[in-house]
This record gives sequence, C-alpha cells and structure tokens, in this order.
Amino acid sequence: MSIQSAQLARIKTLHRTRPRSLLVRWSVCLALVGTVVVWFATDIDLAEMFSSKRLGHLERFLQEDLMPKNLRGDAFAWGGMWQWCVAQFQLNGARAMLATLCISVLAIVLAAVAGALLGAFGARNLMSAHPFLPHATVGHGDCSHWLDRVAQGTRILCILLRAVPEYIWAYLFLAMLGNSAWPAVLALALHNSGILGRLAGETIENLPAKPLRALSMAGASRKDVALVGVFPMALGRYLLYFFYRFETCVREATVLGMLGVVSLGYYVVEARAHGQYSTMLFLIFLGGLLVMLADIVSDIARRWLHKGI
Amino acid sequence: MSKEFKTLPTPPRLPTRRARILLGILLAAVLAFVGLDLSLFDLVPSGGGLELAGKFFSAAFQPAWQYQDASNLPADISPFLLQVGRGLWTTLTYAVAAISLSIVGGMVLGLLASASFWERRSGTWGVVRWSVRVLIAAMRSIHEILFAVVFLATLGITPAAAVLAIAIPYTGTLAKVFSEMLDESPRAAADALAYLGATPLQVFFLGRLPNAIPDIAAYSFYRFECAVRSSAVLGFFGFTTIGLYLRQSFENLHYREVWTYLYALILVVALLEVWSSQLRRKFVA
Repeated sequence: MSIQSAQLARIKTLHRTRPRSLLVRWSVCLALVGTVVVWFATDIDLAEMFSSKRLGHLERFLQEDLMPKNLRGDAFAWGGMWQWCVAQFQLNGARAMLATLCISVLAIVLAAVAGALLGAFGARNLMSAHPFLPHATVGHGDCSHWLDRVAQGTRILCILLRAVPEYIWAYLFLAMLGNSAWPAVLALALHNSGILGRLAGETIENLPAKPLRALSMAGASRKDVALVGVFPMALGRYLLYFFYRFETCVREATVLGMLGVVSLGYYVVEARAHGQYSTMLFLIFLGGLLVMLADIVSDIARRWLHKGI
Repeated sequence: MSKEFKTLPTPPRLPTRRARILLGILLAAVLAFVGLDLSLFDLVPSGGGLELAGKFFSAAFQPAWQYQDASNLPADISPFLLQVGRGLWTTLTYAVAAISLSIVGGMVLGLLASASFWERRSGTWGVVRWSVRVLIAAMRSIHEILFAVVFLATLGITPAAAVLAIAIPYTGTLAKVFSEMLDESPRAAADALAYLGATPLQVFFLGRLPNAIPDIAAYSFYRFECAVRSSAVLGFFGFTTIGLYLRQSFENLHYREVWTYLYALILVVALLEVWSSQLRRKFVA
C-alpha cells in the first residue's frame, strides 16, 4: 500500500468518526424547510412590493413629499436645505436627541443594578448550599436545597423579563403611569435587566473557581464571597456587557417615543401625522446619528476596559 | 537608612480605571434623571392608572381561552385560540423571511468588511472595506420600526414591507458581528495554507471561514430570536403579527386576552432560547 492511499484511508476514517449531532442536523433541516415554506407558501412577496402601483406611490413621495414645503418647486438648493436642517434641529431635533439619550442612560443604569442582583441570585455556583466548595468536602445529595430553587426562579424571571419586547412593556406601562418618561425608562430597564441578569449569571458561573473556593474555605460567608470575590472578578466583563447593551438601549429609546414619550420617535410620528415627510426623514437621520455616536462611545469604552482588565 | 525601607503603595481596592468608569456611569444616570425632569412620585400609578393596573395584573392569573366578550364579534372571526396561533404563525414567518435575507446579506457584507478577507492583498482594497463598514453602520443605526414607518409612508402596507424593515438593520448587525468573528477566528490553518502557496481566496474560504462557522451559526440563531420579538412589535403598526391582536385586545380592555397573547409570545421566545442554548452547547463547546 502506498503512503498516499494510507493517508487517504486515514482521512476517511477521520471523516467518518467526526463528531456528529442529531440536534444540529435536524435544526439545519428545519431551518432550510422553514425558509422555503416562508418564501413560497405564504403571502410574503418581495416582487409585489415593487409593483407599478406602489412604485407610483414611491415616485410621488420622492418628487413631492420629500422636499420641505417652502423649498418645493425650486431646483435642488443646497443652501436652503442646510438652513432648513439647522432650523429643524433647533426646533425639536436637539431637544429630542437629548431626551432620547437621557432615557437610555437612566434605563441602562437601572437595568445594570437590577441585572447584577438577578445575576448573583441566579448563578448556580454562588447559590449552591456550599458556594464554591468541592463536592468531596461537603458530600452529595444537596441538590434540592432551597437556594437552588431561588436560583432557578430567578433565572425563569429573567426569561420572562427579556421575552417581552421593550415596546410592549412601554405600551402597557404608559396606560398605567400616564405621560412621563417613566414608561419608556421602565420598559427599557425591565427588558435589559432580564438580558443583563442572564449575562451576569453566566459570567459568575464561568469565573475561575479557585480564588473563590479559597475565600470560602477560609470561612467567608456567601455574602463575603459575593462582595469581595465575585464582584471585583466579574465586574470587568459585566461592564463590557453593560456598554454593549447601552448601544441597543439608545436604538430602542429613539423608537419608544412613538408611544407618546418625548424622545425622537414622538416627533417622527407627529411629523408623519402632519404629512411633513421631510421633517420625518430628517429626524430619523438624527436618530441614526445618535445611535452611531453611542456606538462609538461604547466601542471606545469597551476597548479601554479590555486594556485594563 | 530610611531610603532602604521604601513603603509600597497600598494596592487600590478596585483597579482605578474601573472605579472611574463606575463613578462616571453613576454621574451620567443622575444627570439623566435631572435632565428628564422626572419625579419618583410619578412611578406610582394614581387614580385611573391604579385601577387599570389592578385589573390588568389580576388578569395575569386567568388568561383567556376564548374571546372575553362574545356579544359584538364580527361574524367571520375565527375561534380565539386559532387567532392566537395565527398571530404567532405570521410573527414567525416574517421573522424567518427577514432573518434568511439578513444572513445572506450579512455574510456577503461581513466578508467584505472583515480584515481577514483582505489579508494578503494590496492596501488599495481598504477603500472597499471601509465603505462597506460605513454602509453597515448606517444600516444598523436605524431601528426596524423606523424603517417600517418609512415603508408604510412610501409603499403602503404589505407583508414584504415588514420583512424588509426587519431585514435591513439585522443585515447590518449580522455583518458587523460576522466580520468580527471572522477576524477573531484562529488563524493557524490559514497561515499553513498560505505557506503551501494557496491563493488568498483559498486561504480565506478553506482556512479562515470554516473556523468561524459555529460562532456565526450560534449568533444567527440568537438574532432570529430577536427577529421574532421585532416582528411581534411590528404588529402595533398594522401588520398582522401577534402585536396587532395584543393591541386590539388591550384597547378593548380585554386584559385576559392580552395575557394569553403575552404568554404565547413568551412561550415561543423561551422555547427558541432553550433550543438555541442546546445548539450552542453542541456547536461551540
């Protein structure tokens, strides 16, 4: 047998014995079938979207509605356009951007505090009967300890919190709390505390166990371990997640205004209701700008943290 | 003599950088609180709000199995549970359609935006890479609901409008994350191929991309979960997803129906989450 065919045989055995998973295989099949069904067996039709009737709509929109009212009929005038933008920015744009930013900052900080608590109470290793101690020293059979129940309940609570979209939370709160920024802030905070709670829990569970075990064996209580060991060790990673969620918070905050809270979305809806499509698009553009700024800030903060951890 | 006994500086309790960030964050929160002109009293519902909150939350324990008010229903309406199922089905179909577009678009843009794809090529290609990155940032920065509002204004209401509205920002997000995953994937195989004389395309598609596939698949699934939520919310703007029915029930003060819709949505999202975490365990670990 030549060397080459021996190698080929070896490659074949490697291929045959590669790790395979039924779950992965079925999931891939289901995904493919689902995609085909959705595109061919439902009323979703991208071509219809660009049918002549709709394109007529679009044409009128682009030619007439898009230009600011006082500039209509002129040839495209950059100077007039610029002045118009500045005026719009001073009228509502700046205020709306600031409100959007404030809502998202307050919401993400509330979410971070709640998420840290949820994470700590949901972490399996911290909430076991003997935190971080190896099983050999404390024996088995403790798995139905009430603390495990607490941890389980906390994790389910997190799932509930994050399964409901921010927009629906805000819609519900608005009816109860009336018109202030609170419904938007609370909605963002609740949804994100569910997400941060889960991420914090995972972070705590993935911490290196040895230093925490040392604390525990030296007689530290669960509270001591959590405050002196877990908190400083998990903080860096948690802050990374914090800035990642901050970015999405700003994005969502622009939209929550549509319910009547005075963030950017509020003025977008108002402009649309008055048929001022140029104003609407300009405000959407401002929202995009704000999100990009938040993106850059969060990117810089995360990079800075990475160096410091 | 005293110079020999230099005292060590006391170690900081928290690394100062993180302490400073924490302080900054707290300060920002206080400023935001003041800037929004909020009062803690507004947090407690009063008058009509309180009554509504009581009714709404007590309905949580008895979700509806059929329409709460059978007296003035349209004649051709389907049974309640069927309606819930239909809302979920539309929500899922929009999400699947949107995410399938986004994965294709995100892969193409993600490749073009990654540093590893342009490795071993001349620097002038950097222009392409950076313009793609700007495009991605622009797509990502506008919320799917805003896209939906623009499409409603320009093209009118159609399922495809909802799908595109979700697909555009999701393509941007996926492209950004895909490009990061490609650049962070282990490069040993790619380097080995390059030493053997493979072309840059071969190096990338055989050496680099396969390493990133598990991460890419796991993240795509996570975004699918998000797409389901986004699709549900688009119902508030008139598309026939579960959000539409939820809103109608809420406006008719049928809170028990609202809770049924909420539980149905939570159940689907939670199931998807369990599925995706199982997959991730198989895939990534």
